[in-house]
Parts: sequence; structure tokens; C-alpha cells
Amino acid sequence: MIIIEKICHNITVVALQGTLDSCSSSQLHYYSSPSVTEVPLVIDLSNLDFLDSSGLGALVEIARKKREKGSDVKLACMNDKVRKVFEITQAYRLFDIYDDVEAAAVNAGNKKNSL
Amino acid sequence: MKTLVVIREKDYEWLYPVFPGVHPLLVPVCNKPYAEFLIDFAILAGSNAIRFVSDGQLGGLEHYCENGSRWGIEISYASMLGDEDLETVIDKNRRYCSADRILCISGFVFIRYNKQHDYKKLIASLSPGEFISCSHGSLSLLGNTGNIDNSAEKPELSLVGLDSTGVYYRLSVEILKCGSSPYVLPGYSSEADCHIGRNVVMSKSTEIRKPVIIGNNVQLLAGSVVGPDSVIGSNVIIDRESTIIGSIVLDNTYIGENLDLENRIAAGNILIEPESGASLAMEDPHLLTGIKKRGGGGTVFQTFVHLFVAVLLITIMLVPFALLFPILRLQGKWHESSNTYYTSSSGKTLTLTTVAIDRSGPLSALALALSLDRFALLFRVLGGQLAIIGSQPVAATPGSRMVLERMTGYRAGVFSYAEAEEWPVNGGDTAIVELFYAAHGTPLQDVVMTFKAFFNRIHE
Amino acid sequence: MITMTLPAEIRYVRLASLTAAKVAEIFSASFTAADNADGFCHAFELSVSEAFTNAVRYAVSSDQENMVTINFKGDRNRLTVSVSDSNPPFDPEFPSPDINSYPESGFGLLLIRRLMDTVTYTREDGRNLISMTKQPDNQRFGNL
Repeated sequence: MIIIEKICHNITVVALQGTLDSCSSSQLHYYSSPSVTEVPLVIDLSNLDFLDSSGLGALVEIARKKREKGSDVKLACMNDKVRKVFEITQAYRLFDIYDDVEAAAVNAGNKKNSL
Repeated sequence: MKTLVVIREKDYEWLYPVFPGVHPLLVPVCNKPYAEFLIDFAILAGSNAIRFVSDGQLGGLEHYCENGSRWGIEISYASMLGDEDLETVIDKNRRYCSADRILCISGFVFIRYNKQHDYKKLIASLSPGEFISCSHGSLSLLGNTGNIDNSAEKPELSLVGLDSTGVYYRLSVEILKCGSSPYVLPGYSSEADCHIGRNVVMSKSTEIRKPVIIGNNVQLLAGSVVGPDSVIGSNVIIDRESTIIGSIVLDNTYIGENLDLENRIAAGNILIEPESGASLAMEDPHLLTGIKKRGGGGTVFQTFVHLFVAVLLITIMLVPFALLFPILRLQGKWHESSNTYYTSSSGKTLTLTTVAIDRSGPLSALALALSLDRFALLFRVLGGQLAIIGSQPVAATPGSRMVLERMTGYRAGVFSYAEAEEWPVNGGDTAIVELFYAAHGTPLQDVVMTFKAFFNRIHE
Repeated sequence: MITMTLPAEIRYVRLASLTAAKVAEIFSASFTAADNADGFCHAFELSVSEAFTNAVRYAVSSDQENMVTINFKGDRNRLTVSVSDSNPPFDPEFPSPDINSYPESGFGLLLIRRLMDTVTYTREDGRNLISMTKQPDNQRFGNL
């Protein structure tokens, strides 16, 4: 899995590319551990081809840590295969899910300003 | 143009207990799933894509509608959070909503329309914003201004909020009565007010009174009366001398003998009084007497018959088993696995070792033809734990327990009635056949059915 | 029948799941009604990923190398994949966690059960065997 970080509307957008499974989830874990701060985060899933429950666990972990800090994580552009995992596990109840990265970033920014 | 459908789980969750096992958005209104009416309207209004957004699970809906190629429209699905307003939902679907115009259907509402009218023209003549609403939802337009024309004729359009079984029932009857002129209804109709699906078997003494809609794979037995104002779903059996008036019978329902249904909704074994919403589990008197009969002298005789058939089959299979089992085992074609199954509808369980034989080579073909994979199970009949013929054993999982509770008369068997009747041994139809025989079977018929199942497997 | 044996190490999980997806793709290509081939392949890819991950996660370290065996078997109209390991037995009825408590694991078996038509768990010759079967273009009734 490749992790690319960029800034969009002053919000950190992390784009995941490839596969997020039990093997690569540790990568996300090490990546996100230092970045657990109060700033909101957008995770761009447009190029994530495959997600399994271990990968989902890593995303849930980020959401939990962000919420504990009073911040949030938003997801953007998941494909049908990834959405299926969210559907079955009902993980969609935990996340703000956008179909557009920019919309997600703008909303994350609004929330940040209102805090 | 595209259509965005936003329905919150809290608006439809009341349907989960009413029709268990069916996704609320797929509950048939008249004889067609609710969601299909929305799809039809979206197409009629000129949409080439539709997206369903909800905070509840959409898996069942997606499984049914898939990508929409069946209707020639692109269907997608998205999630929202329960407490969000429409504006946020639209923002979450910004990419989808970037088309020039979006028709937004919000709330768990039924749209009354008439396919004879031109809704494309109506939509084109409207300015953005809400154009029709009721207490339960609204239709609105997003995007740029069209050629606003206030003088354009306003075709028939109204909303009904679906919030109770009463509304649901009245709406179904209303659609039945106005028939297929305003809506697209499935089924074949050679005359007005009477739709009949495929593979409908009627007895000579069955009476049909219009208006009525009957689905596919339906059996109407002797002396049954169906209609007026009734909707019969697919895979339904209406048993002898039963009357269905002003009622809706959903898919996979078995209406027992001598039952009179008037202004009711029947789904599985649940009977609903639409106006009050009161429901009761149908304890079909025939089904009960059938079981009671076995409770008396019938049981002893039946147990004896089952024992006898089991001993007979063991004798037939013993030699082939002794010869073939070691060979197949050595060839690695004989696979044993154990799993826990329910043996009766009360939830008694039993761990059975089932056998799978690879379908390759003449020896395995012979073993399969002789049902040697069931050999070990026959001894369970001797122990009284299994019936020689009954329902296909249901694996014991928390999910199947719920299904089992609705299968009155379930009895796990070495062979299943469905095998005897050559019904496909999976899917909802099987349960109907098995329950039918559980009610109508006699010990002697069981013998015939067992051998039928045995011989059917030879031909397989 | 195709059999693949891999060491019980997490770095092989993608090899296992991609192989499963490919086998499913080739298998379903022989069916005319392969509209939902994508869903069919994804079901195998995800289920094998989950089963393999579980096999690795609960592997006991011993002198002997732990191996996970993946077995594909094509029937007339359905594909079965079984994953077996030499770990201690596990509870196949393990309940799924409540999503609202932010669980980070425990959804593997739920996914497998929901994606496949039939799933059986057996203990054979001291090995766990989870066997998963699915039919392409499967029209199941009343699936929530």
C-alpha cells in the first residue's frame, strides 16, 4: 500500500493506494500514530482497491483516536468493493462518507473552524 | 438528470418486525417492491441514474437492484448518518450531484403518478427547490434553472407517507384497483383487473373474483376462493376451501385449509390486521391437527414405518457401502465433515457427520446413485433422532434459529421432501414443499416419498 | 482441484487472496450469466483474506513450521474454497462485535458468512478446516 499525504483547503488529505489488509494495516497504524492530533483528517480511498476487516480495523482505530481528541476523520470516494465491507460490518455508522475529496475537506475545515 | 433518494432508517424501521426477512424498501406495494416504484418514477422523470442514500443497511436492496442494468438505469448506493439534514447529504454526494439537474426524493413516501403523463416536461418547467411535499417527505429539484413555464400542465402527482400497516394496505388495494394503467405492474394480463403470473396451478373448483393479482408459482387448491381485491405473491399455496378476500398474501406463504382471510395481510405465518397493526402468528389448524395426529397413535406407527424403511435401505446399501467406502476413502474422494443441525422446530440440535463424494469417476457416480453418502445417517433413524424423510437439515446458527421458528412442522430427515419432488434443494420454495408435506403427509406416503427421493438421486 | 500451501505468515495474505480472486474469475468466466462476476470474485478475495488472516493470527509458535493450506474445488456450478490450519480449535459461532464500540477486529467471520452461500467449520485430523462455497449469479431470497 502506498500512502500519499497532501493538503486540500488547509486540511490534511491522506490518499491510500492499493491494498489495505492485515499485512498493510500496520503501515497505516505506524503512519497514523504520530499524526493523532486535534486536526481533522480526510482519507481519500479513490485508489484503494481492496479492504478487509483488518484494514477496516485500522480505519476504525484512527476514527476512535480522532474522536477522543475531539476531532474527526472523514472518508472520501470509496469504491463498491470497499463499500461492501462498510455495509456488512455497519461501519458506515461511524464515518462521514463523501463521494468527493474536496467536499470532504471543505466540511472538515468548517467543523475545525466552528470548534 | 439524476435522482437522489434519501430515506432514513427511523422512517422505515417499523417494517422490520412486520415483514421479517424482507428489506423494508423491498416490501411489495401491491405486487411490486416499493423501491421499483421509485425507480420507475425516476425513469419517467427522465433520470439516467439513481442513488439510494440511507443511514440503515442497504445490502438487501443492493442485492436485489444490483447496478440497475435491469431497468436501463445506473443505480448506486451511499451512506449517511441518521441525524443529518438533506443539505449535508447532498454535500456528501457532491460528485454525483454535479449533474445539471437533480431530482431529490426525500423521506419514506410513495409517489402517486400516472405513466401516461409527461413528467419530463413537468420537471423541465420547474424552478429549483421543493415542488411537492407531505408531512413525511418531499420532492425537490437541485441545480440550474430550467425553462420555467408556469403555464405547463400539472400532471397527477402526490405523495403518501408510509408510516403504518394501514396506509400500506390501503395503498396496495388502491393500486390493485387502478391497475396497470398508471403504474407498471409485473405479470401477464389478458383482461383488466386480473394479472396472473407464471406457473399458477388452479383446481377446477377454484374461484377467482376480480380484481386480483397473482404471482408466479402459485397453487390454488380445490374449493379456494381468491378475490375480490386480493394480491397473491409468488411461491404461495392456498390450501383447500380457503377464502382470500380483500387481502394481501406476500411471497412464500402457505395458507392452510379452511381459512378465511378478509382484509388481512399474510406474510409467512404472520397474519396482520392492517388498521390496528395487530399481528398474530398463524397457527394453521390443519398443520396443528396434523402434528397432533402424530402425537397419538400415529407416532408409533410412523416411527415404525420410518424404522422399517431405514432397515430396508441399510440392507440394500450394506454391501455396496462395504465395497465402495474403502476404495473411495483411499482415493480421497470421500469427505466427512461434522456440523450441528436442528432436528425439530423446537430447536433440538444434533451433531451429524455429513459426507460429500467427489463427482468424478464411475465408482463415485455409483456411490452417489446409491445414496451411500446418506448411509451413516440411516442409523440416526434407528436411534429416533432423524426422520427417514422430512426437511433438509438446517445448520444450527443463530440466524437459522429465527428461520426455524417460523417453520412449523419442521423435522430433519435423511432425505427431504424437496428431493422427492425434484424441487431445487435451496431457496424459499423448498420450505413451502416441505411444510406442505409435513402437514399432509401420512406414514405410507412417507414410504413412497422416501423411495421417490432415493430414485431421483439415481438419475441425478 | 487446486491446492496451495503457504507458511502461516502475514506477508502471504495478499498472495492467498489474489489467487482466490483469480481462481474465482476464471471459474465464473465459464458461466454465461456472469453479470455479477465482480461480486463473485470479490467474495472469494475477501473471504480468503479473512480466513488466512485468522489462520495466521491464531497460529501457535512451535518448532514445526505452521502451514496454511488453501484448497479450491470447482463443482458443476459452484466454487468451494477451504482454508485449513493446525491451530487450536476456535468457536465458529463467535459473535460479531458492536460497531458502536469502535472494535478494531472481530468482523472476519461475519464477512465470510455474509459473502458466501454456505460456510462450514470442521475439525479434521487435528486441523481447523473452514470451507466456503458460493455459486455465481446467485439469486437468494429475502436476504437482508
